[in-house]
Amino acid sequence: MAAIAGRTYPAVKIEIDRDRVEEFAHAIGADPADGVPPTYAAVYSLGVTAPHLFGDEDAAIDFGRLLHAEQEFEWTRQPDMGETVVSSGRVASDVSRRGMRFVTFETDTTDEKGAALCRSRTLFVIRQEVRPARAPARP
Amino acid sequence: MTFTREQIAAYAAASGDHNPIHLDDEFARSAGLPGVIAHGMLQMGIAATVAAEAAGGPDHLRRLFVRFAGMVEPGDTVTFRAEPNGTGKLDLSALNQRGEAVLTKAVAEYDGHPLPSGERDQGRGA
Repeated sequence: MAAIAGRTYPAVKIEIDRDRVEEFAHAIGADPADGVPPTYAAVYSLGVTAPHLFGDEDAAIDFGRLLHAEQEFEWTRQPDMGETVVSSGRVASDVSRRGMRFVTFETDTTDEKGAALCRSRTLFVIRQEVRPARAPARP
Repeated sequence: MTFTREQIAAYAAASGDHNPIHLDDEFARSAGLPGVIAHGMLQMGIAATVAAEAAGGPDHLRRLFVRFAGMVEPGDTVTFRAEPNGTGKLDLSALNQRGEAVLTKAVAEYDGHPLPSGERDQGRGA
């Protein structure tokens, strides 16, 4: 299984939809009147780019063995309600050691003009299959 | 906050993360879990709400980092806190009812003033 560090995925446009933002705010106990909750980035950033990674056969990410281990967001600004943003994902690193695979997946989100808005950095840890010792074939 | 199945399901719907480990007990157990668990991102969202309040509003937040350290099951109560740690920095903690940290290395950084909205077209009369 090849490591896929450096792989980039196509950009995805997504509108910061008011109804959806309000539903999200309620789900995390935030007041929608305060504006777009910062971790709404889970929807407009990682949320639209992670499916590319999970659907990439070459990446061979075993969803059943995957753990979302760390998450970082950095914002130049929070998005405005109703604006359209553009998110692009890439695999920043992909290393395996001692039966664990560590994939760092980054997503850059810009506004429609290309101005930086948010960067997401996710550490996925995937438990790799332990190869069972094979019994020698019986003669 | 005491986590419930309903809230976890609501977060799944709102975020689009329908991984059955959050929704289906049998599936969760087949994956080696005790039962359904809350999304790490749901916990991060609640921590972010606490951080945003301490920072003077969500527009002030510039950075959030968390490590997902522990499982949260329905019925668990987690206390989320934001403690100032220098200018523009908050240490975030999330401890369950047993005193275990479900989020670790959690920090938020914020600016005193939100970015001017002059970056965006304000439509001032020409």
